[in-house]
Parts: sequence; C-alpha cells; structure tokens
Amino acid sequence: MPITLVNPLDETHRPPSTAAPRLETLAGKTIGLLDISKPGGNVFLDHLERLLKQRYGVADVVRAMKPTFTRPAPDAVIAKFVDARCDAVIEALAD
Amino acid sequence: MLETGDQAPSFSLTRIDGEPFSLLTGEQTQSRLLVLFETDCPTCRLAIPYINRLSRELGEAGDILGISQDPEQPTRELIAEAPIEFAVAVDRDLSVTKVYDPVAVPALFLIGNDGRIIQTLSGFDKRALNEIATAMAGKALVIAEPFDGAPDTKYGCVSRHLEGDVSGEIAAAANPYLKRGARASRIELDDSVDPFDYCMQFGDPLPVIPPTVERVERMVDACPLPPDEVIALIPPNYGAATVEKIAANAVMAGSKPEMMRVLIPLVRAVCDERFNIHGVQATTHFAAPLVIVNGPIRGELGFASASNVFSNVARANSTLGRALQLILTNLGGARPGEIDMSTLGNAGKFSYCIAENEEENPWEPLHVEMGFKRDESTITLFAGESPHGVSEHMAREGRQILKAISHALATVWSYRLCAGVEAIVVLCPEHVKTLHRDGFTKQAVREFLLENTGIPLRHFEDGSGEGTQYVKLYKQATIDGEPCYLKFQDASAIKLIVAGGTAGKFSAVIGSWAAGPRGSQMVTYPIAD
Repeated sequence: MPITLVNPLDETHRPPSTAAPRLETLAGKTIGLLDISKPGGNVFLDHLERLLKQRYGVADVVRAMKPTFTRPAPDAVIAKFVDARCDAVIEALAD
Repeated sequence: MLETGDQAPSFSLTRIDGEPFSLLTGEQTQSRLLVLFETDCPTCRLAIPYINRLSRELGEAGDILGISQDPEQPTRELIAEAPIEFAVAVDRDLSVTKVYDPVAVPALFLIGNDGRIIQTLSGFDKRALNEIATAMAGKALVIAEPFDGAPDTKYGCVSRHLEGDVSGEIAAAANPYLKRGARASRIELDDSVDPFDYCMQFGDPLPVIPPTVERVERMVDACPLPPDEVIALIPPNYGAATVEKIAANAVMAGSKPEMMRVLIPLVRAVCDERFNIHGVQATTHFAAPLVIVNGPIRGELGFASASNVFSNVARANSTLGRALQLILTNLGGARPGEIDMSTLGNAGKFSYCIAENEEENPWEPLHVEMGFKRDESTITLFAGESPHGVSEHMAREGRQILKAISHALATVWSYRLCAGVEAIVVLCPEHVKTLHRDGFTKQAVREFLLENTGIPLRHFEDGSGEGTQYVKLYKQATIDGEPCYLKFQDASAIKLIVAGGTAGKFSAVIGSWAAGPRGSQMVTYPIAD
C-alpha cells in the first residue's frame, strides 16, 4: 500500500541572493581581513597582509577582529569594513 | 534621547491607513505609547508581537503608534509580514526621530495624560515592557512571559538618524522571529520503495521510524499549538522548526506523542541565545548538548535517572535525546562531515539525555537551585563532553571522595587551562550518602572542589602549551602544601547533580565547551503541565 510521509527536513523559504561581483585585480584595492579571534589568527593574517601588499599591490588593508570565535560577527565588526569601503574581505582563522 | 519627566514634543503624522495622528501638548486625555522602529532591525521584529499583545489587551483604551524610520514600501511589507496590529505612521524625514532622539530602536516612549514622558525603553527588555503594559492598563499586566523562547533583553539597532551615510542598497532583512511557517511538504512512496530504506537519508546513520502522515498527526495532536507555528529558527542554517517539523523528527526518533510537551520547550531552550547552539554545532570540539530532566515529568513520561542513566536504559531518555539531535541536523543543518566538523565527535550526538535522581539527592535538585519549585518540571541544557568516570571505593570520608573528583576535574578541557571552562559533577547515590553524612551541603561541596582543584605551578615551568598563555588570568592557591593555579575562577563553574544507581561508587565529571557569555551558558526551561 502506498504511504505518505511528512518531509522532516528544512524547507524554510529563503530569498535568493547573489554573490558579490568578483574583483578583476587586487592592485590598488582595499582589502578587509577578519580575524575570528582564534589564538593563531594574527600570525596567519599578518603574513597574508604582507603578501597582499608586496606581491599583489593591494593599496590598503583594514583589520578587524570578532569579539569571540564562538558567535557570528556582530554588526559593528562588519560596519568597520563597510565604513572603510573595502573591495573585498578575507575571513580567516588559525589555531 | 528624551528622558522620563521631559515634556513630549508635539508632532503630526499621517498614519499609513490615511488617518491623521497628532500629539499636541496639553490635549491628551489618555496615556500614549510611541514605538519607533526600523524594518530591518531584528530586535524590532522581536518586540512587535509583544506590542501587538499589548494592543489587544488594551483594546479601545490603548493608544499605540508605531513610527517607522523607513520608507512606506518596506514599512507596508513589514506590517503585512510581521504582522503589525497597531497603527503605524512613516517618519519620512526622520523629523520625529530627531526630536525624540533615541540611541537605538525599538525605542518606546510612554507619554502620560499630562503630556510628560513616563517611561522610555531602548532595545528589548521584557521587564520594562511589562512595566509599560502595567502603567497603561492601570493594573498588573504581563505581555512578556519568561521562557517563551525570547531572551530577557536584547540590544537594539542604531537609530536611523545616527547612522553614518552608507551608499548602496539596504540588504534584504532576514527575519529571525517568524511566528508562522509553511506546512511541511508530503512525500508519496509507492509499494516498490521500502520506507525504512527511503528514510535513511533523514537521520543519524541508524534506521528511523518513517514519519507517516498518521504518525505525525498523532504527535501534532498531542500539542496545543498549530502545526505551522514556528517554535524557533535553528542555527546555523536557521531552518524553521515548526510544530509539524518537530513532530516529524520526534516520530523518526521513536518518541511517543506525549513527548511533545518536553520537545517544545526543549527546542526553545536550545535556541536560547545564551546557549549558543550555533557555536556548539559548528565547533571542532567534542561538545554536544546534554539534556537534564528534573521534576515530576520524570515519572510521568518514564525518564530513567538511576542505573545506566547515560546509556540505553529508557525509551524516554533515548528518544528525547535523539529527537533533539535529528531536529538540530535536519532543521539546523549541522550535519557531520559538512557544517559539523568535530574532530572526534561525541557518542552523545546520537542521544544525550539524563534525568536527575532527585530521590537520592539529600539537597536541592538542579531545577530548584535554578529557581523553580520542586513540583515543577524542567529541562536543562549543558554543552558537554562525554562523562569521565571517577571510581572511588576506598574512601571512608566525604572529603576523600571529593579529592578523587578534584583530580578528574583538573583534566577538564586541557590540564593547564584554568579559565573559561566549567564542569558538571554527577554524584552517584553512594558517594552522596557519604558526603551528606559528613555534613556537606551542596554549596560546601562546590566550594571544597573549587579550593582543592588546582594545577601545580611546577607543571607550568616549561612555559608553553595550551593554558600557559592565560596564566595572568589565573588565581593562585596552596593545595596540600603545593602552590597551584586554581582550575576554576568561581564555585558557580562547578554544577552538581545526583544520578545513577544505588550500587557502585562511581561518579563522573563532564567538561564544558567554551563557557560563559563568550561561549555557551547552561539554560533551564520549565515544561508546562
């Protein structure tokens, strides 16, 4: 006999969103670096900042840190990148 | 921001339904409530249902005006979607906003019949909402109950007039406070498909009971709420846990319909912001949510609290813990190997649910300590590792038992980490009997464990390794003549419960995930009768 099941999975409607346009080049851009506040994040991001400036000609790097890695970034942290008009943001961690 | 006692400045706005609204000094006959809000502010959306309730409770006597800081189109959308049941006007040029000058929204101004501001609220605060409701009703009126799934307080968003100029479009707002969700879709299986095989995609890797329409309806019928009511949005994907979706997962876990009584508050509790299920689900650490059941519900639904309490002993424990895990993975999206990338995991991610053995506890049980009555039922959630056993059969005195437990406590998280960590000590009945005989109170046990759990300073001499980087935060004490760092900052970091069978001198220690406001905090929710 055929049976009917109730779908137990997530069917929440979410408005479609598109990814931000990709950068053609890093040269002359402002790049945000978000440290999620794990213990080794600064080591990794310091190195990344050097590479971005020396090898890729990034004009400016904006650094911000989440108050805790256990929760999503609060609006104030994201606002720092928005206010600095970053062209792209790299979020990273290192433990 | 205008404050209590200030004269409320007069203004006129046209309501979105076309009616004029004027607040003119000296003309007021009854108290009025202004509610300034933004359409994309989660805290405003959180507050709206409570203001709706106030509006319904007061009826004709209520004079409430919502003042939107956003254009008419998004305001109309929010009115329809939330929905907003009280009158709303749009503050087009933010002229009213600028005069009332709130720091954050939602901003509430209660204006008395003399035209002076009686009370203000910026952000969300249940106590202040109830005070405003009581002042408007002229008698005690509660519009914001505790334990309804919303936090007691929540910061608002910066008021529009204080925002810097930000070019570009406003992002579509996520609404974390939906009250009604879509009904679950139906899946037809013909005879050629084995329903048990088909449902393997829905669960942990063990077979589940197929959630047929009939079984799910029996489960939904056992709950007084409508099937499409959203109990919570489950992080990290924020899937809507409707009553029907919770019921379908509970069927799969093998729960009986009466378990809906526990599951509804459990889903609210697990999504309490203090518990931080987002982090608990996404961490590489061992932690899994441990459910601790207290009160008469234990007997009513058959929760085991004695021997084998952590294992395969009772349908109630096993299926409640499993239902929670299925809800978290199926609706929250933290699937092992995808978002849940825990390094070693925890057997508790199949099911991790115990009841306290209150009958063998000579002190207050956990829920009474948390402020509930003994004859109330509760569930408590703790983000914990697997239990670490402490065998102590030779001790004749309580303090020797506690010494043995303190050595296990010292190893929680990592031996030399002495900050940001908590633990549950599960005392077995035989150990408790000895402690009680020796005159230990619950608080005395906690304090003894605090003062006697330490890591000798000489173990920090090499100066490197996890825990050594935080020594500036640690407190020093001398334990048995040896200078040590105390493992815990405060006795409240050590939670005590009694569980297990009456034979065997085996207690246990359960280490936490990152504890406190920056990690996960233990939460206790009542179960309605």
